Amino acid sequence: MRLRHPAFVASSAGLLTVAETIAEQWRRVGATGHLLARNIDTGEELGFDVDAPVPLASVVKAPLALVVLDRIATGALDPAMPVTIEPAAKSIGWTGVAGFRYPVTLAVADLVHQALTVSDNASADALFDLVGVDQVDERLRTWGCTGIRVRHRMHRMYECAAGIAGDDFGLALKLAIRDDAAGQHSIETLDPAYANVGSAAALVGLLQRVWLDQISQPEATAELRRLMALQVFTQRLSSDLRADTLRVSGKTGTFLHLRHEIGLVTADSGDRVAIAALTRSQRPASIAHDIDLAIGAAARSAFESLRR
Amino acid sequence: MWMVDLLAHLEAYVAVAEEGSFSKAADRLYIAQPVLSRRIKHLEQHLGGELFDRSRRQITSTDLGVLLLPHAKDLLSRVDHLRQVATAALASTAHTVGVPPDSDPASLARVIRAGAQAGVTIGVRELPAEERASGLADGSLAFALLRVPPETAAHHVPLGLASAAPATRASGRRPVHLESLRARRGAGSESSPAILLTAEDEIGFAAERFDRAAARAGLPGGRVRRIASTATALAETLAGDAMLLCAEPFARRHDLAWSPLADPALHRGYELAQATLRVGSLDGSMLAWMEPLLAVAIGAVGGPVEKPTTADQGSSGPDRRSRLAAWG
Repeated sequence: MRLRHPAFVASSAGLLTVAETIAEQWRRVGATGHLLARNIDTGEELGFDVDAPVPLASVVKAPLALVVLDRIATGALDPAMPVTIEPAAKSIGWTGVAGFRYPVTLAVADLVHQALTVSDNASADALFDLVGVDQVDERLRTWGCTGIRVRHRMHRMYECAAGIAGDDFGLALKLAIRDDAAGQHSIETLDPAYANVGSAAALVGLLQRVWLDQISQPEATAELRRLMALQVFTQRLSSDLRADTLRVSGKTGTFLHLRHEIGLVTADSGDRVAIAALTRSQRPASIAHDIDLAIGAAARSAFESLRR
Repeated sequence: MWMVDLLAHLEAYVAVAEEGSFSKAADRLYIAQPVLSRRIKHLEQHLGGELFDRSRRQITSTDLGVLLLPHAKDLLSRVDHLRQVATAALASTAHTVGVPPDSDPASLARVIRAGAQAGVTIGVRELPAEERASGLADGSLAFALLRVPPETAAHHVPLGLASAAPATRASGRRPVHLESLRARRGAGSESSPAILLTAEDEIGFAAERFDRAAARAGLPGGRVRRIASTATALAETLAGDAMLLCAEPFARRHDLAWSPLADPALHRGYELAQATLRVGSLDGSMLAWMEPLLAVAIGAVGGPVEKPTTADQGSSGPDRRSRLAAWG
């Protein structure tokens, strides 16, 4: 564990205390990371280490989806266009088309659905192939999303991890943890200089603009909001925010020792808080339930202290 | 005159004085009579006067010879004692056994007593695992109980968690699964007790195994704490704030509740090893009577464990590649 104090941001002394408490709770479960939570209506916020670029893992599917939905909204891409994904050529993954055993043909709009709701790597890479990795990055820059860089397809993460560790997950995890301590990355997709990266501040900024219709087209942002609300994973941001009166629209990201989620918490009362929680840990485990819960606890205390 | 020489000359003098004859004295000392005569002559020159009157047929001591005899005898007996002490001291260091720090003292006493009956002096030394191994190598230990993986061990010592609180379940001895020790959701903010590891479980492969098992069970690194001193770890456990990783007899001696770890790959394994580079020879048969007694002292229950289960189940099967990809 690095003995270094996070750089806190907070709109008030009370919010600073909340941020400090969250950082301490994360430290106690063995996670270091980056957090930013902002009430998108009042602008009040709290967090720590919000500007560091962090490898995004599957969180990148959210900005990818926005670029694809933007193309659809402007008429450059037909949402009904069929795309066939062959098992032999598809990207590796557990869920969605990546886990399918037979060829499948989906419409572009449904590829977006799969990529966001079940974090399907094969559908996401089909979309990357359709619009181009460089074009996604460029579109984000024209929108002024400077803290987010898109540089590779989803499958590149598997290739880099397997390239150095074979199919030994334990070894890849060990290397990732060791490289974090050394500051030199043997898995390229974990190196901020080569990975898809985003800072907590940039990701919260993106969510805020999506929810306030300040980016792309209203049809595109509305569809992104709709699909992010359908995400099936509830173990992180949502883990302590599940109620009929609350809704979490999010996108998780998990790769080796990285556990992320970005999302927007909305309440029946009208409160809206955007949150980006990006963590890494030194624990040689694939599943760390307590870290997921600590992210959920952070989301809850951030939301409750930022709502009006 | 050399000191050892002087002692040989004094032996000759005492022998002639006691036997009253040069030839009988030479026989007693297993030396030729001219050698004996020469030694007496040298000694008389060294002391500056005659010790024996050789003018008569029967040898008699001179006044000087009578005066010095008790002093010469005293000197020789002291040298003899010196040799005995040296021999005894050598014999006792030659049979030191290195044992783990939390062995049962009463059982170790039985090892020492059994040694006395067999005519050998046994010393037991509580040492950390690394020092038991290095003690064997540098010859300071004759025997040592060495840590080996439990699945290949001659002696399997079940490890479990001891706590001051009475067993939470009525059955008490139900095996503990590490993942059951995760903080319980909705159980309030009460902190989960630390798991204390003493130096005996801190050696290379064992520590690595435990860390990995704890991580895979979902325990944060902070839950496992290393404490070099067994007494300190025991005190914290008795105070009620921690669980101590230890063998059952140790827990019982200190009135702690104990439940075994369900995964036998995390248990202790030992083998009794004998030093090979030794001054003097040791009776290999010592192992035969010593080993069962030492096994009791460390709380061993039998041979190697059946099936270690720390194997990473998730790393096999058709989905193993997916673990290296990004996911939700």
